[in-house]
Amino acid sequence: MKKHTILQLIALVIVSGLFIGMLVAANAYEETKARIVEVLCLSCIKLEPKTTQEFTFNTVNNAPHPYFVTENLTKGPVFLHYSEDVCAGCEVMFPIIKQLFNIEFEKQDMFSDTVTFNQANITFIYINLDHTITPLEESFPLYDKDDIGGLPMFTIVTLGYDHGMVRPYYTTLYGTLNVPTDADRTALLQEVLTESIIIYEQNKAGYKPD
Amino acid sequence: MRFQLKRLYFQIILFFTTNLGAVGLKTGFCYPFFYCQACPAATSACPLRALENSVYKESFEWRFFVYPLLIIGFFGISTGRAICGWACPIGLLQRGTGRVARKVKKHPLAQKLGAHRMEKYFRYTKYFMLIGFVFLTSLLIGFIFTDICPVGMLVGTFPILILNPGKFVPNYFFPVALIIFILFIVLIFLIERGWCRYFCPVGALLAPFNKVSILHMEVNTKECLHCNVCSNVCPMGIDVPNMHRDPECILCGKCVTGCPQKIVTFERG
Repeated sequence: MKKHTILQLIALVIVSGLFIGMLVAANAYEETKARIVEVLCLSCIKLEPKTTQEFTFNTVNNAPHPYFVTENLTKGPVFLHYSEDVCAGCEVMFPIIKQLFNIEFEKQDMFSDTVTFNQANITFIYINLDHTITPLEESFPLYDKDDIGGLPMFTIVTLGYDHGMVRPYYTTLYGTLNVPTDADRTALLQEVLTESIIIYEQNKAGYKPD
Repeated sequence: MRFQLKRLYFQIILFFTTNLGAVGLKTGFCYPFFYCQACPAATSACPLRALENSVYKESFEWRFFVYPLLIIGFFGISTGRAICGWACPIGLLQRGTGRVARKVKKHPLAQKLGAHRMEKYFRYTKYFMLIGFVFLTSLLIGFIFTDICPVGMLVGTFPILILNPGKFVPNYFFPVALIIFILFIVLIFLIERGWCRYFCPVGALLAPFNKVSILHMEVNTKECLHCNVCSNVCPMGIDVPNMHRDPECILCGKCVTGCPQKIVTFERG
């Protein structure tokens, strides 16, 4: 066998070995699947979802609301900010959210805080899907009410009155909110938050977390 | 002719396996060619998206850097740039538009431009695309090629719009991406395999492997009549009799079937 062929075969064995090593030890397969294949970056598809601000009681597949939402609803509405590392839309929304709630955190952090908005307490939870824990990650498809599957995504959970019961009541906004400027985005978020606080105040007395 | 038909069948089968996401198969592999994970039917991830992720805004995620390179490296060492000629769905698309491009090629102006001494240097554009728009802009300013990618537009944006009527509206990247997409379409109708020749960043990743790949093309120059049939049929516009492990060769085998002397062959080793 020629020397050149032997070198080629050695190179092929090394590459194959490293590849198998990455699959087994470095979790590259799962990371690629979870972070690139299964979650759409909305700016990458060059589209914005046309969504409504309407609140609903129904989560996707009518799954129960996660505990970190139901528990925090005793203090006020819950704002969930879903993001990922590489996403132009997330970059646009990141400073808007920080300014809106007057908070500071890094893009790759896991972050939550009780913030004040219009004299009401809001639990803010930042979920970067690339750096989060399973219960937070699992809430993403649950609140994807328009079946977009893309980031960034913002869910505001409040309390609503439904057939004699007070239950979590939420809406989800997507991308850069389908408005042209940062001022419009801030105004839209303020509008939805204000509405969620009003509904919350009307219903909080009857709320008992499961 | 039969050989080229086999290649066509192979490309069609690969096109369907590329899109097994349509039947629910989503994997964590990267394609070894240019195809977008935003396609509703995509099975795997675009290697460029993984590479962009690896260096985004001065962060370094070695897994996303090494993983796609190993996949491309495996196919590169085995078959060189044959992936472009045999597996890439965008290659299949350009095979379809090649008929028009071959007619355009006969125009005197196209012949003049094709024979221009700058043409060979223009082929380096794809390496600049790879280094500039996939790595540097992602690393330094957080701008990723995926946001304006014409292939993403073709297989991702448009299918999503068609499958979800009224659900999406264009965002701020859309106008720029649309212009680039139109230029891409014009390019592949004007120049056979124009995208592969000049702009494909995945082609730029695979091209150097032609120098060391196990499978490659050989020309027996001693018996060559210099009739140039091979060069005329080459979709990548290579001067076939004078090529030796040319980085542009996509191993489509058109020169093999076209050569009247049968002196262009696939070789191993």
